[in-house]
This record gives sequence, C-alpha cells and structure tokens, in this order.
Amino acid sequence: MRLKVFRAATTAEALADIRRELGPDAVILGIRRQGRSVEVSAACEPPLDEPVIVAPAARATPLARHNLPAALAARLGGERVEDALAREFRFVALPDGSARPLLLAGPPGAGKTLTAGKLATRAVLAGTPPLLVTTDARRAGAAEQLTAFARILGLSVTVAQTPAALGKALAARAPGQPVLIDTAGTDPFDAADAAFLVALIRAAEAEVVAVLPAGLDADEAAELARAYALLGSRLLVPTRLDQARRLGSVLAAAWAGPLAFAEAGCGPGPADGLIPLTPSLLARRLAGEPLLLEDNAA
Amino acid sequence: MSASLAALPLPLSAPSRGRIIAIASGKGGVGKTWFAITLAQALAKRGRRLLLLDGDLGLANVDVQLGLSPAHDIGAVLAGRVALPQAALHLPTAGFDILAGRSGSGSLAALDPAALDAAVALLPDAATRWQDVIVDLSAGLDSATRRMAASADLLLVVATDEPTSLTDAYAVLKLHQQDAPGSAVSIVVNQAQDLSSGRHTYETLAQAARRFLRREVPLAGIIRRDPKVKEAIRNQAPLLTRHPSSTAGNDVDRIAEAISKGRPGA
Repeated sequence: MRLKVFRAATTAEALADIRRELGPDAVILGIRRQGRSVEVSAACEPPLDEPVIVAPAARATPLARHNLPAALAARLGGERVEDALAREFRFVALPDGSARPLLLAGPPGAGKTLTAGKLATRAVLAGTPPLLVTTDARRAGAAEQLTAFARILGLSVTVAQTPAALGKALAARAPGQPVLIDTAGTDPFDAADAAFLVALIRAAEAEVVAVLPAGLDADEAAELARAYALLGSRLLVPTRLDQARRLGSVLAAAWAGPLAFAEAGCGPGPADGLIPLTPSLLARRLAGEPLLLEDNAA
Repeated sequence: MSASLAALPLPLSAPSRGRIIAIASGKGGVGKTWFAITLAQALAKRGRRLLLLDGDLGLANVDVQLGLSPAHDIGAVLAGRVALPQAALHLPTAGFDILAGRSGSGSLAALDPAALDAAVALLPDAATRWQDVIVDLSAGLDSATRRMAASADLLLVVATDEPTSLTDAYAVLKLHQQDAPGSAVSIVVNQAQDLSSGRHTYETLAQAARRFLRREVPLAGIIRRDPKVKEAIRNQAPLLTRHPSSTAGNDVDRIAEAISKGRPGA
C-alpha cells in the first residue's frame, strides 16, 4: 500500500492532487480539517509496485501436505507430530449409548447411517443388542439402508419422525440397553434444520456425535464442527479416514469445535467397523501410512 | 490414551489452554514493547497468571525497559539448557513473569528451520502453563514474526498517526490475513494527541483494511500521548508501578478490561 497525506486549502484541491499523484484508483482513507487547511489521507495498492514478500518457508513436516489452517499448523510444528496431537486435541472413548442415547448428526452423505450400522454390529457382538432408531424418513429409501444392516443383525429399526415420536420410541428401551439414533442429514446453518436437531437431542437427552467425512475443505469442516459444537456436540467421528489423502479438514474440525476425537470410520461395510483414534494412529495416518487391520479394534 | 467422557468439558466451554496475545507493529519505535509491558501489568492486576515473552532474539529489550538482568533467556530455552518454567523470571512489583529475549545474537529470522519451529512451538507450550501469554513480536515481518503472529489467539497491531507506521501496520494486517485468515486481530492507536485524533488514525487504517483487504478490523483502544510514559521508561520502571494513575496507564487499563472480558474489539 502506498499511503500519502495531502494538505490543501479545500477538499476539492486535495482530491485533484491525489488524482494527479496516485492516479484514478486511489482510495481516500480519511479527511480532517487542520486549522485552515484540509488534510486527506489517500492510498493506492498497485499490484506491481508491491514489494516482493517472501512467504514463510514451507516446512518439511509430514503435516505440510494436509493443508492445515496456518494457526493450527503453527501450533503443531516443532515437535513430534504424535506429541503435538496429544497436547492439542482430546481423544476419548466413544460411549456405547447405554448411559445416554447416542445421536449421530452430520451433513448429508457424511456416513451417519453406516456409522450407526457399525455401532449396532459392535453392540450385538458385545451381547447387548441396541435399540436402533432413525429419524430420517424424508429421504427416499433412507430407513431401508439401516433396516438392511439391522436385518443381518436380527434387529428391528424404529422410525421416529418427530421429537415427540422419538421420546415415545425411547420409552420402549430395556433397562441398560444401548440406544443408537440415526438422523437425516442436517444443514446446521439453516435455522429450521438446526432447531429440529436440537429438539431431537432434547427429546432423547442424547450425547451428540458429529459425523464428518475426511477430505472436505478445511475451513468448511471447521465451520461445520463449530456449528455442531454449538448445537451440543462434544464428540467427532471422522469417516472415510482410510480413503482421504488430505486430513487437514479432520484436524481443523476437531480444533474449531472443539470436538474430541472418538473413533474413525474406515471401510465400506458395517462389519469393517470403527477404529478408536489415538495420537499415534492419527500421526501415522498423517504420515501417509495406511490403516492396518490390527488397528481395527472393533 | 483415551480419557473417559466425563473428563470432557461441557459444550461451549473454553479450551483449557491459556490465551496467546501477540503484539505487532511492523514499524519499530511506536511504543510496542512499552505497550506489551503495560498491558501485561494491567492484565496481571486483574488476577491473570501471565507470561510476557520477548519474541525478539535480535534486538530484545523487554528486560532492558524493566531494568532486569535475567539469568536465563529465550536462547537458553531454545538451546534446551533450561526448561521454560525455570527460565521465566517472576516480577513481584509488576505481578507477572517474563521470558527475556536475547540481544545481539542474530535475529530469530536467521535461525535454522528446526530452531524456528521450536521458537514458534514455545507459545502454545507457554499457554499450557500460564493463563495469558503476551508476545512482544519484533519489528519487521520476518517469517518467525509472521508464524508467531499466526499462532496467536489475538493479534494487537500498534500504530501511530505517522504515515510510515500506518503503512507498516497495514502490511502486518495484510500478511496476517494470508497467514491466519479469519483469526482475531484489533488495532491499538498509540501516542495519540487526543481521543478524536486517535479515532481518526484508527479510521484511516481500518478504511485501508476495509477497501484493500475487505476486512473489518476493530479498535482495541486509543492510548493518549503522556510524558509520564517516557519518564517511566527512562527510569526502567513499569508505568503502572511508577504512576498507578496516568492518562496513558488508564487508556491501557481500559484495553485490558475489554480483553479480560473477551471483547478486545469493543
């Protein structure tokens, strides 16, 4: 920016001086009277006259390729990635839905239904068949996908389209039975969508899990995570962690929420399961290593 | 590695780490270091456990302004000779801790990349130990300064009414927008003749940001010119200790009040 302060007897004279010296693109930044004269600050920003600014050197850390927001990259720099992740993020075990119902929320296509199927599979294998509820009857075939998973597991799916119906469905829960609630894709920036989701959460007194796919734009993911955190979510389940090649959005989302990492969705089928996330596993994934079968504790 | 769910904060609660507040100006000689010290003292007065970190390895002078001879400095911490908590010096009269910079040993910009990473990583590390970490950035726009600014939770850009200061402050805003888009930044006008001319200085800079960067940058506060500031600096004493009530001191105190309430742009 080239800034210059012009003094003249009248504003018109000052403006003429500015046009002559700085050209037609000059912008007036401020005008004030100083005694008998007028003082006008003006500036222009000609792209070619800009001093050459050398950007901060790219760092050869495994994180550089993941397109992290700069503020987060700075916090994660300078030490072992695993240690930095352990310090900057929270990692918690995903509850099983027996203490409080687990409600899966996220944008359309995030993998909520598949995650519900994976959690249901795990519960059945643990000997505690869950109460499986979906609030998504809007989308064609929405309930059918979950029903297909449930049929294999010998479970039924309750469809509850309203907060009241959800409350009623939960009354059928056996004592100590895990509850898994799948929801329709939400736009958390849409007031009606957000209000409906909050009503469902309240009706179920649910623990909300934000389900977000890896590979989104980092800023987009951060804004979504912040929105779900405001709606009451504390937990993040990133999906497609095995497929995505850039994990900046996953870290940006957990950071912005803030949301704690619980587990990560990997693999296309309900039996492929979820992997509990740890700093070491996430660090290895950031370094480009594939997720190993041994990682799959489900 | 997994903690229990009960250990998680409730939704909407603030992260448990302290805040990093970086002070930049672009141009030197606008009162940046003096402001960092006085803001540190004003926040500490409000009961915040605070570290003032001199982010300049080249021409550090926080310790000089305070008349200190610290045993350790940031160089010793970066070299791994002393741990951060041991290197910080507590100042009972001012109520906060300082980590001195280092003068005359080459600038942070000249560090090799690993040392530079370590210097930048000092800030979040300090934020796990102190409630507020104020970083007095060096003048100029070298990459160490830019990365430290980018990792701050709040960047305060100090400017005076001189065209050179405004131009350099604008350059700080512009680069910060590239390095940390959307992060919090506010303007501090220093050495203002009076509140209305300070307001004019702020508006000039804010208008440049609005027109060229398409960004609204709020005003953190205006500090009026006050002969007591020079007097305190000459005596190597913090202003609020030497003059508990002064025009400039009260102006900084108002900025501290807004920051401690979480609205530095108000």
